[in-house]
Amino acid sequence: MADELTPQVPPDQPRIGVDEWVASVEGRRERYRGPVGWARRAWDTAPPAVRLLAFLVPAAIFPLVTTEGNLFRYGLITLVYALLGLGLNVTVGFAGLLDLGYIAFFGFGAYTYGFVASTHTGRHWQAEFAILLAIAVAALVGLIVGFPSRRLVGDYLAIVTLFFGQAFVVFVNNANRIDFPFIGHTDLTGGANGLDNIDPLNVFGWVVNTTKEYYWFTLGAFTLVMILLYFVSESRTGRAWKALREDPLAAEVMSMPVNRLKLMAFVFGAAIAGFAGAIYGSVQTGAFPGDFDVGLLITIYAIVILGGAGSLAGVIVGALIVNGVPELLRDPNQAEWVFYTTLVLLVLVKVRPWQKLVAVVGGTLALGFALVAIANAWFPRWTAGQPGEGKLAHWVSHWMLLPSHPTQIANWAYALTIALILVLTLLRGWARTIVMIPTIYVAAFAWENLLLEQTAGATRFLLLGALLVVLMNARPQGLFGTARVEIV
Amino acid sequence: MNWSLFWDLTVSGVTLGSVYALVALGYSMVYGILKLLNFAHGDVYMIGAFMGWFALHWLGGPVNPSAAAWLVVVLMFAFAMVACGGLGVVIERFAYRPLRNAPRIAPLISALGVSFFLQNSALLLFGASFRDYDTFHLIGGKTYSYKDIFLSVPQLLTIISAVALMIGLTLLVARTKIGKAMRATSFDREAASMMGIDVDRVIASTFFIGSALAGAAGVMFALVFGQIYHFMGFLAGLKGFTAAVIGGIGSIPGAMLGGLLVGLAESYATGYLPQGSTFQNLYVFALLIAIILVRPQGLLGKADVKKV
Amino acid sequence: MRRRATAIAAVLALAALAIVAAASAKVDRAAGPSATASADTQLISCGKTVTMGMLAPITGPAASLGKLQTDWAKFYVAAHNKVKKNKHKLRVQYGDTVLGGPGGTAEAVKAAQSLGSNVLGTVGPAGSNEVRATTATLKNAGLGFVSGSATNTELTTDGTRTRFFFRTVPPDAAQGTSVANFINKKLKFKRVYIIDDQEAYSTGLADTVQQKLRAAGVTVQRDGVSQQQSDFSSLIAKIPRDTQLVYIPWQLPPKGKAFGEQMRSAGKSNIILMGSDGLFDDAFASLGGVYASSFPTSGTHPVVKAFKKAHGGDPEFFGAPSYVAAQVVGGAIDRACKDGKASRAEVRAQIRKTNLKKTVLGLNVSFNAQGDIKGGQFGIWKANSSGSFLPVG
Repeated sequence: MADELTPQVPPDQPRIGVDEWVASVEGRRERYRGPVGWARRAWDTAPPAVRLLAFLVPAAIFPLVTTEGNLFRYGLITLVYALLGLGLNVTVGFAGLLDLGYIAFFGFGAYTYGFVASTHTGRHWQAEFAILLAIAVAALVGLIVGFPSRRLVGDYLAIVTLFFGQAFVVFVNNANRIDFPFIGHTDLTGGANGLDNIDPLNVFGWVVNTTKEYYWFTLGAFTLVMILLYFVSESRTGRAWKALREDPLAAEVMSMPVNRLKLMAFVFGAAIAGFAGAIYGSVQTGAFPGDFDVGLLITIYAIVILGGAGSLAGVIVGALIVNGVPELLRDPNQAEWVFYTTLVLLVLVKVRPWQKLVAVVGGTLALGFALVAIANAWFPRWTAGQPGEGKLAHWVSHWMLLPSHPTQIANWAYALTIALILVLTLLRGWARTIVMIPTIYVAAFAWENLLLEQTAGATRFLLLGALLVVLMNARPQGLFGTARVEIV
Repeated sequence: MNWSLFWDLTVSGVTLGSVYALVALGYSMVYGILKLLNFAHGDVYMIGAFMGWFALHWLGGPVNPSAAAWLVVVLMFAFAMVACGGLGVVIERFAYRPLRNAPRIAPLISALGVSFFLQNSALLLFGASFRDYDTFHLIGGKTYSYKDIFLSVPQLLTIISAVALMIGLTLLVARTKIGKAMRATSFDREAASMMGIDVDRVIASTFFIGSALAGAAGVMFALVFGQIYHFMGFLAGLKGFTAAVIGGIGSIPGAMLGGLLVGLAESYATGYLPQGSTFQNLYVFALLIAIILVRPQGLLGKADVKKV
Repeated sequence: MRRRATAIAAVLALAALAIVAAASAKVDRAAGPSATASADTQLISCGKTVTMGMLAPITGPAASLGKLQTDWAKFYVAAHNKVKKNKHKLRVQYGDTVLGGPGGTAEAVKAAQSLGSNVLGTVGPAGSNEVRATTATLKNAGLGFVSGSATNTELTTDGTRTRFFFRTVPPDAAQGTSVANFINKKLKFKRVYIIDDQEAYSTGLADTVQQKLRAAGVTVQRDGVSQQQSDFSSLIAKIPRDTQLVYIPWQLPPKGKAFGEQMRSAGKSNIILMGSDGLFDDAFASLGGVYASSFPTSGTHPVVKAFKKAHGGDPEFFGAPSYVAAQVVGGAIDRACKDGKASRAEVRAQIRKTNLKKTVLGLNVSFNAQGDIKGGQFGIWKANSSGSFLPVG
């Protein structure tokens, strides 16, 4: 473990009485271990331009090596969500303001863009003006919302912004039936049917209408925003925001204009969201009320927090995980591979030394084959079921029980899996190793007979939820965030 | 003045308000002790409704129950409350306890993960179709009336059980030792642990009670309004959270008052304002904003005095 | 410490896996629909199995609707594959659109993008907004799509998806007109209350009916509820006692049933309740005495009877148009595959030429130039006291 310089404190206790520098020495030292340590050291010492390239180069190559469908699902949507995450990062990560109505700014951007560039409304502005207008409108709304929020703190700010978000959705859903007193009947947003037939982006004459082109455009936009935010975070304002986040009272006492800073954070975040909204609206060629509700808000929050609030690189990784993992599990074949690879990796990484590993793997395989042999001999209904498609499923069917009517028993197996996993975290030593064997088997059983059917559905989000919990437990500050130190 | 409309709206407002109050209580209690907004609370409520359904069907079903109707209802409540209490304790132990000293937003995300997980597990295990409580066959459609006020049996049942549970909770917190421990822990966790209070056990009990109340709320809601499905916890959780904040988050009588207010506000807004039902959530939130701007700590909350 | 390193290693591995899977997906599995013109006309050989896509809300708040649609589609595919005459077995690739879920319509677009290059035609998507959002993707891929539930009138009249989009349900304009005429001319009511559920399907119908009734001089009051809501008591209290009919064009039959029951316990059972085709279901009919609009579906149609038997007596009528949609796409693929090879453009042309007799909808199905069923009509049904719907108009 780390050195004797500081007393050994378990990771989930606050490092009370240890000031930040000493605490980070301990942290820095433990990173110098193994390939992971090497990677982190390289990351920390690399200049920001190199770090940007480390992201840009694979991102730029991605469209050339993959299909259009995958580019859209894993590339384009991830970038749009990551862009949203960057904006939320300013409000939540840099300034520490809990804004639960953030998605409304996204919606404002999309609807404003559609308002001036769609067949529905008959206006066809060019993208450079339309996008600028979308950003301006979103920033203005951010200003309006930010004004009364200056007096509110923490959870109350959350509630007010939540209200604003809900108001936006209801407004946009019903805004095709407004009867203004002098103007007469107007259709502002297309109502529940949404603003459809939004034009593709028309940037200085270049019409963006294939997925690849959208991807390049969004990548460019994203990189620009990232560079901008990097400079902002290193500037005076950025440092003031960080001070505000850590301790608002101290910041105010140090004569920082707290109210103005809060307002600026709101406006910045809103502007970025507006930008993302304009791009999203044109990608989808439509803006619909249901797209801008609390569900997406929670997704973007997950992205920012998972990556580490305040970290720019973290947003990208967060977006990849939160958007990529459910997509990966859409296809049952791919899902099979992902499941078994993850299972094997987990066991490999978590079970040391190698003797234990052999025992667990051998035990699980033996258990499986034994059960299948017993079932084949005396309980044929337990292996009468249909294996999935593909080679892997075929191999697995020799090891796994596949009952002919799996539903009831698989439901119980699922509950049993969860119970066993929870118990596993409480055990230590030999008990743990022994219980691991049936846990793995029952988990695989539940997977084969229940979860696999629904990969196009419930399984994706279920696993994402579990992933969030596990990741938060293993690393509460997010993947790239800085561990908070409590100074008493 | 149309009194019959007024009483109808009041009755439905109080009924719904009782359900919201029970959900808000769970939020408030957990926030008071841990300063954590438990997003998974709405889904515990949903699980409670499903547990009640299973209890109902294991006891023979609504049309031909194997025991007297009142006994079946009591058993449904008991089963749902115990199951949800247990679920709450498990969630706390595995998803929140390791994050007790982490930055505040980490348990929030963990709660989100748990919520997602519960919702989709329910979808996986119970299927996508709505399930019916069929209260009409179980309890009957009798209505009690006094002048212009009409109360159906499920509504009466909801209001009475909610009041009973709230009285029980207040007595628990004010008179018993564990209640005193809870109050101490929510006041100052470190001092309480230094005084010899087992903080882990107190927090577990808080979660047990809060989740049990949510489970009871789920059964109540299903008895009055009939249907359960895997997504029903979302809106109830949101409204419960709003109610807790209106009443002053961290305060138990505040949660009760908040719940009642939210229920009544919804009801009156639907009944009296133009397009009231379409915009009812907005009207509730507007009320919320108004209250917070005037009194930021909520109606019965304590103004937070921070020591510098 | 080790936990952190483990977590990072696991995450990196997962990310690497994601990239590898994404990049290699084109090797072990067919690639996504591509934007080049060749996807449209590229000939795919029809081997032992041919693939049909289906976009439906398999998870999320509308999962109950998705189940009805996929049940009926699965039923068709099973029946099709049993027929020896069909040389190619039909296989379905499902795309989950999560209608009403957190990702909004982006999920539907992602689902459309996930359809492999061996998909020749698609059933769905279910929601009108989803159709709008996925139009660009599906058109670029050259896929024809037949929806069993997207009823918004503009989908076929605004010209953006002609010859790509078809539907086996009549549009809102047709349904709204039949309903308004029935209320006005047959029932001769003068005081009506309309309640929508804030979704596109519902508000479209509600708007049409409201407009037509008001033009005929009927007093119409209007309000809305949220699809998530189960408590209608305050709204019911607000409905004036002299209202003659309440029209609820909703999508979820259990909600309609709950509404009817709550009306009864509020003592307003003298007010007639009328639903749209979304409520044409046994759950709603069990109230007895309610009206609903729907196709002239016949409960004695052999396919319907077989379906009921296989699903515990529940005909799941909402999904019946999806059966016909699957029939249309499956039949088109069969015809295009007669020479052993088919392209998406061929399948689209074959869909256009569909001519099905005596479908489960009680109609003959063939499409007009815009993609609607020729002569598609809605009838009005009334539930009798034993909970079955009988046609009345």
